[in-house]
Amino acid sequence: MTTESDAAGAVLAALADPTRRLILDTLASRGEASATALADTLPVTRQAILQHLSLLERVGLVASRKDGRERRYAVRPRQLLDTARWMNQVAAQWNARLATIKRLAEEPDSPRPEAPEPESPESQSPPGR
Amino acid sequence: MTADQIEQEIVIDAPVERVWAVLTEPGYIGKWFGQGDPTPVDLRPGGFMHLDHGENGKFACRIEKVDPPHLLAYRWASAYPGEEATDDNSTLVEFTLTPDGATTRLRVVESGFASLSIPPERVASAGYDSHLLGWPEVLGNLRRYAEQPAA
Repeated sequence: MTTESDAAGAVLAALADPTRRLILDTLASRGEASATALADTLPVTRQAILQHLSLLERVGLVASRKDGRERRYAVRPRQLLDTARWMNQVAAQWNARLATIKRLAEEPDSPRPEAPEPESPESQSPPGR
Repeated sequence: MTADQIEQEIVIDAPVERVWAVLTEPGYIGKWFGQGDPTPVDLRPGGFMHLDHGENGKFACRIEKVDPPHLLAYRWASAYPGEEATDDNSTLVEFTLTPDGATTRLRVVESGFASLSIPPERVASAGYDSHLLGWPEVLGNLRRYAEQPAA
C-alpha cells in the first residue's frame, strides 16, 4: 500500500514499465476507457491490462468508476504533476550546479579557495632541476 | 531497468584535471555544492563528503567510486538531512568526466528515485511552476527520464 511519503517513488516505479506508460498514454488521449477497449487497441491481453491498471490505480495515476458491467479508467494527473515537478526541480538544481562547476573550472587564474595543491611536475619543476 | 534517473551534461572549456579539481577539492565543493566554506571530504570509497545546504540541512554523502580524473560516485540522502547516506535512504550521484580536445564533457546522473521514500513536504515544496506544465508534456518528460538506460 502506498503512503503519502513514498508517492513520488511509487509513481516512478510504476512508470518504469513501458506497457504501463503505453496504457497511460492511451488513456490520456481517449479520456476514459475500459480494460476491454484498451485490449482492443494495445498489443497486450486484457488480463495483463487489468493488472497494470490495478497497480496504476494503487499509486494514484488512474481512477476508475463502474459503468454497468464494466469499469472505466481515466488518468489522474495530480500524482504525475507532483512527481514531474519534483523531478524537474532536481534536474534544474543539477543544471545550476554544473554551471557553477563550469564557471569555477574556466577561471584558471582565480586562486584556489584552499591551500593550493602542488602543481603537476612538468609545470612546477624549477629550472635546472 | 529503472525509471528513475536524471541526467545532465555540460561542456567545460577546461582540461579534465582542472574539472576534476573543481569537482573534488574541499574548497571548490563548498562553492558549487555547499554554502561557500570548504567542505570536509575523505576522497576514497567509503569515505564521507559533508555538504552544508544551509536551511535545507547538512548531508553526509558516502563516496562509492573514485577514479581520478574520470569518475566520482557518491550516495546522497537528500531527503534525510543529518543522516549518513546508506544504500536505502539515498540516491546515487555519478559524475563522469570525458576529455574532448581542450574541453571536458561533464555528465552527472542521479539515480534511484523510484526506491526512495520522499517525505511529502519535500515533494510539495518543489518550486517548479506547475502552470507551465500540461500533463501530456509531463508524461513526456517522465518518459524521457524513464527511457534513459539504467546505469
